[in-house]
Amino acid sequence: MNNYESHRQEKLAKEHIARKKRFIYQIALWLSIIVGIGLIVGGMIYFVSRQNPALINSSATIESALAPDDWVKGNKDAKTVLIEYSDFQCPACAFYYPLLKKISEEFGDNLAIVYRHFPLPNHQGAKPMAYAAEAAGKQGKFWEMHDMIFDNQSKWVAQSQSKIKDIAVEYAKSLELNIEQFEKDFGSKEIEQKVEGHYRDGIKAGINSTPTFFLNGQMLQSPRNYDELRNIIIQAIDENF
Amino acid sequence: MKISKTLIIIFLAASFIGFLDAAYLTIQHYLGVVPPCAITGGCATVLTSAYQKIFGIQVALLGAIYYLALFLLTIAYLTSGRKALIFLAALATPIGFIASLWFVCLQLFVIKAICFYCMISALTSTTLFVVGIMIIINYRKPMLTKTAAQNNITK
Repeated sequence: MNNYESHRQEKLAKEHIARKKRFIYQIALWLSIIVGIGLIVGGMIYFVSRQNPALINSSATIESALAPDDWVKGNKDAKTVLIEYSDFQCPACAFYYPLLKKISEEFGDNLAIVYRHFPLPNHQGAKPMAYAAEAAGKQGKFWEMHDMIFDNQSKWVAQSQSKIKDIAVEYAKSLELNIEQFEKDFGSKEIEQKVEGHYRDGIKAGINSTPTFFLNGQMLQSPRNYDELRNIIIQAIDENF
Repeated sequence: MKISKTLIIIFLAASFIGFLDAAYLTIQHYLGVVPPCAITGGCATVLTSAYQKIFGIQVALLGAIYYLALFLLTIAYLTSGRKALIFLAALATPIGFIASLWFVCLQLFVIKAICFYCMISALTSTTLFVVGIMIIINYRKPMLTKTAAQNNITK
């Protein structure tokens, strides 16, 4: 009986130790899972937010001299030139639009910002809006139309191609343009060829997405935020002095 | 009857990949990174569209929580052996599958742009759904035979 009793106790003690071990194992496992997931998420945050060390892609370049028919914000004769290839229907371009506005206010005459068209083939409204901006430009209001198109992007983006022209005419009216002239220019071969020419030059320079920036002729890997864009421009201006 | 190990491993892997994918998109969104628009069409159009939110919450964030929950339930099942846990995870998979189906339709017919990361998510949630159904069948089988046996006894 005594023997049985001690045997039973021994068994209970063993079970107790086994249960304790299992418990510790469970805690260790869940702790390592939590830490593991934390590390993965932290790593991703670091990867996404880190500043881009190689912002300049020196293998892709474009002629940095301005064309006579380029739309320039800031000082045409500035030594530092930022060329943007953009698409009016692209949400990322709309995201950069206020940043560029701020850049142009900050750098003023030290910088020339150039807008060129790169209407992506899958954006049905990009080309008509490019024509609208050019047609407004013929009456001296390119940038006003440019701002209007980006400000209202979400309103016209889902419309059909024929409707988009009507919307562009509405914008022209609110900018007090000569509508007859605007409509004539909107459909003109000259403007169509200019937009097409920008697109072809962009393809030749190796652009495959919008917006693509060239700083003094060198392609930038899309800067992630205002500071990144600002710093690289400051660097370029310093080098030119 | 045991649930097949292969099914569990596929389930675990799919939920983990789904989690990485959705977490990446969520982080990108909250850090304010805007993906550029590519010539081939893509993520910018989809991820900045009006459909990126449900009830004001990022779809990617919901996805990340969903995949993480499935992943943790599977781990909990593996360590405890409680079948109810994996059964619960399997029961949730139709939600992810239907949501993915809806978003693929949106991309194809409404937004008319395909986002690579969203397609990965569609793939993982479909895998989870198929494996989930197999797990449910696996789980139900012994229960059915048990009730059948009980019925026989009462008769």
